[in-house]
Amino acid sequence: MSLNYVEFTPGFDRWMPKEYRDMVHHGPFGKKTSVSQVGTFKEILEEHPMCAGCAMTLFIRLAMIAFPNPEDTITVGTAGCGRLAISQAAIPFVYGNYGDQNGVASGLTRGLKLRFGDKPKDVVVMAGDGGMADIGFAQTLHSWFRKEKFTTIMLDNEVYGNTGGQESGMTNKGQVLKMAPVGKKFEKMDMLGMAKVAGCAYVATVVPNNPRRVESVIKKAVLIAREVGPTYIQAYTSCNIEYAIPTDKVMEDAKDVENDRYKFSEYLSDDARQCLGELYGYKEYLPKPEKTLAKS
Amino acid sequence: MYLIAYIDQEICAATSCKLCTQFCPEANTILYNTEAGKDKGMKYGSAYVAVDRCKGCAQCVWVCDNMAKHNAIKMEMIDQVGDSALTENITYAEKNTTAKLANPVRG
Repeated sequence: MSLNYVEFTPGFDRWMPKEYRDMVHHGPFGKKTSVSQVGTFKEILEEHPMCAGCAMTLFIRLAMIAFPNPEDTITVGTAGCGRLAISQAAIPFVYGNYGDQNGVASGLTRGLKLRFGDKPKDVVVMAGDGGMADIGFAQTLHSWFRKEKFTTIMLDNEVYGNTGGQESGMTNKGQVLKMAPVGKKFEKMDMLGMAKVAGCAYVATVVPNNPRRVESVIKKAVLIAREVGPTYIQAYTSCNIEYAIPTDKVMEDAKDVENDRYKFSEYLSDDARQCLGELYGYKEYLPKPEKTLAKS
Repeated sequence: MYLIAYIDQEICAATSCKLCTQFCPEANTILYNTEAGKDKGMKYGSAYVAVDRCKGCAQCVWVCDNMAKHNAIKMEMIDQVGDSALTENITYAEKNTTAKLANPVRG
């Protein structure tokens, strides 16, 4: 992988689709792009087959804009809605078998480390709540216990949205769904607590109704994963089909859920604070200078 | 026929909050032209919709009405919006895009 890997073979550029030419000439590769500039550059994400108004798509779009080095990033996903959009992007996507995504990402991270040494290569896992907390639970937790250096992002829509609305481990207690007619009998799994116990260096919850916050969370998680250890982001990305949310009310629902049970939270280990403060210029994480006593 | 988002450039160019560009779930669908309002003597540029990419979810309408409180975006039928931006007519420049407007319904 290098900055040139999307460029054309000489002489072929005029036969390429417009979207491809825009990507090469006006894409974010090698530049610093941010959410505030969105709409003025060609994004990594392309057209995709996800439902109209899907909050998961919005989150994936913001995440792709927020990657600190998109040209050095590989995404890993698994079965579920999310991979329909994640795979439609101008950065490499690896499809792990259902539940294997964190195992695949572990191998990929180690391989990239062997091949490229200290040159930063980011691996970002994006999978749904089913792929991560139910079927891929063992692989996810083991990758955290092994301190594998990559970012894990859970796209938590609190349901198996792709297969018709079965309850998942992340569904709330009592929730009635199309394929869970009597309501869920158990509490929502505390993946945040488990991530902290397993030793993740950075754990955050986020809702996509604040694009700049999503950007800052993703940037921090990817940068910490490069240097310190595993990072975990849990994002509420509602399923407007299974939860019957009108598409124009998706952000209203995100706001309600944020106020109800998905408040923004961020946990950083001491090493992660030090890494952000010293290596990447996040001044708020540097130790505060000792206050000199006022002379009396 | 189906509905797509249509941005009133006069209202948009007076405020230029760019919230709709950040909240659209589709990539490169709501774009921003820094020059759009300046021809008409407005202070800022304006956002516009690439109608061939818009899926008609109306999330931008909610964001414009309730978060920005500008009420600049309406849902309109694709054959009634007049000249609009299509992806093939959009030109990217350094930190800006422009669109040659054309009728979205052909043939």
